[in-house]
Amino acid sequence: MRYRWDVDDKTVVAVTTGAFSKVEVEIDGAKVESALKLQRTSSQNFPLSGGRTAEIKVTPVVMGAPTIELRVDGQLMVPTGSEPITCPSCGAVTPPNDRFCAACGQAMPAPETYMLAKRTREATVAIWTLAVLFAIFGVIMFFVTKSQTADVLDKLAAADPNYSQTIDGTVYTVREVRDQLAWAPWNVLMVNAILSVVMVGLAIWSRRAPLAAIVIAAATYATVQVANAIIDPTTIAQGIIVKIIVIAALLRGIQSALKQRSASSAAAAANG
Amino acid sequence: MADDPAACAACGHKLRPGAGFCSSCGRRIGDTAADAADAMAAPRVADPDSRFTQNRDALYRAGLLFALLLLSFLVLGWVARFDRSPWPEVICDGADALIVLGFAIRCRAAILPLLRLPRASAGEALQLGLIAAAFVGVLLVYFAVLECLGLPIVSATGDLTRAGWGLGPILLLVSVSPAIIEELALRGVIQSSLDEVFGWRDAWIIQAAMFSVLHLSPLMFPSHFAMGLCFGYLRHRTKSLYPGMALHAGWNALIVLQEMYG
Repeated sequence: MRYRWDVDDKTVVAVTTGAFSKVEVEIDGAKVESALKLQRTSSQNFPLSGGRTAEIKVTPVVMGAPTIELRVDGQLMVPTGSEPITCPSCGAVTPPNDRFCAACGQAMPAPETYMLAKRTREATVAIWTLAVLFAIFGVIMFFVTKSQTADVLDKLAAADPNYSQTIDGTVYTVREVRDQLAWAPWNVLMVNAILSVVMVGLAIWSRRAPLAAIVIAAATYATVQVANAIIDPTTIAQGIIVKIIVIAALLRGIQSALKQRSASSAAAAANG
Repeated sequence: MADDPAACAACGHKLRPGAGFCSSCGRRIGDTAADAADAMAAPRVADPDSRFTQNRDALYRAGLLFALLLLSFLVLGWVARFDRSPWPEVICDGADALIVLGFAIRCRAAILPLLRLPRASAGEALQLGLIAAAFVGVLLVYFAVLECLGLPIVSATGDLTRAGWGLGPILLLVSVSPAIIEELALRGVIQSSLDEVFGWRDAWIIQAAMFSVLHLSPLMFPSHFAMGLCFGYLRHRTKSLYPGMALHAGWNALIVLQEMYG
């Protein structure tokens, strides 16, 4: 992964992370010696033109991409993204590290806000991922359940439909068992389809209300895991790595979106 | 004193050609140095850290209560695999009641005003009554459609009637108790806590979503989400938990009577 900061019109700092936790640093296109590592928190100072000092800090994140920050003379820099930064008031395209919009004078969001927005976007990606996973899982389990119930349905085909049996205190007839088995694969498909649609709705809503959407997605996903654990405790361990990654992304997203919201409501209160 | 067009008069930052404001201090180009000094003399104060802590604590409170209620459902589900008698549910309800009471006492400043009788004009009461009637009608249609499609709906009274329970105890366990506990938890503690962070509209939607997923059945998501919205709206309009409790208990009682005598 490559990170780039346009510190000013003439100074560019770039960091490239590669295999084996390697971190390469370039200043104005020239590679410089770096002792930074991805697997532990580390920081290093580099001299910039004009007597300034750049500090690059690497902070590993559990089950996520590490946080790489650049500070020039103590001020956090905004990384240059694929999309230009625009003023929230007048929409004018603004260089990443301007503190005020040159077109209207409105204060630009603090650099920390852009870092938080990145974590919030990662949580939105996690929600889209859940939507896709639920859809795929629903289709797969539809066919799996159908093949599992096909044998039993064949055996019950010749049985007397009115024959009944008491199981755990409940009386079931052959007809009722056949109906439940016939519906089982459609039930699985519908349940996962509903969950997938819910996640798509939340991912779309997260553009307007990221914190609310991520909170509901996290609550829904946690509940689904609990429900699965009740039905079959062995499912807790299935896909455990993916579950941990998703939950970590959602929790980080909640924290970041909460910080963003708190910062903007504090700024709104200060601006009157 | 005229500004040097190449540098800002207030902070000395190099200006861009064509810029109307300094990108470092926000001062309008062309203001005198005195104007700039006045503008710089009134720093804006904001405290995002304390607001974050406040919001985080409110969110943590709502999330913890939700997690504890979810945990009690997990325990009940596991126990029910081995013991189909109603007593595990009774014990779980009792534990939920204690948990919710603890949180309600912790948030008593927000909860106590909601435990006053609602004050509504005749017109408002009629409007809310119509909303409640429409809500009941929509839910009846929804469950009728599920039944027509042959989709499995968990029975609320099956285990209780098999255990020989009469109508009175069943209504207490299935209608009255959940209405009080869930309204106090979702529309009381959780909606009030979320109100502090999100404002009433988003808090209303989130508590309804939490209420729907807490019932652990995706087929019930739409119906219980609608219930959560309706009860939450009654709480918001009347500033009281009692209308929601009454409607919730009434709906659950209707289900009980339908299952036992329908």
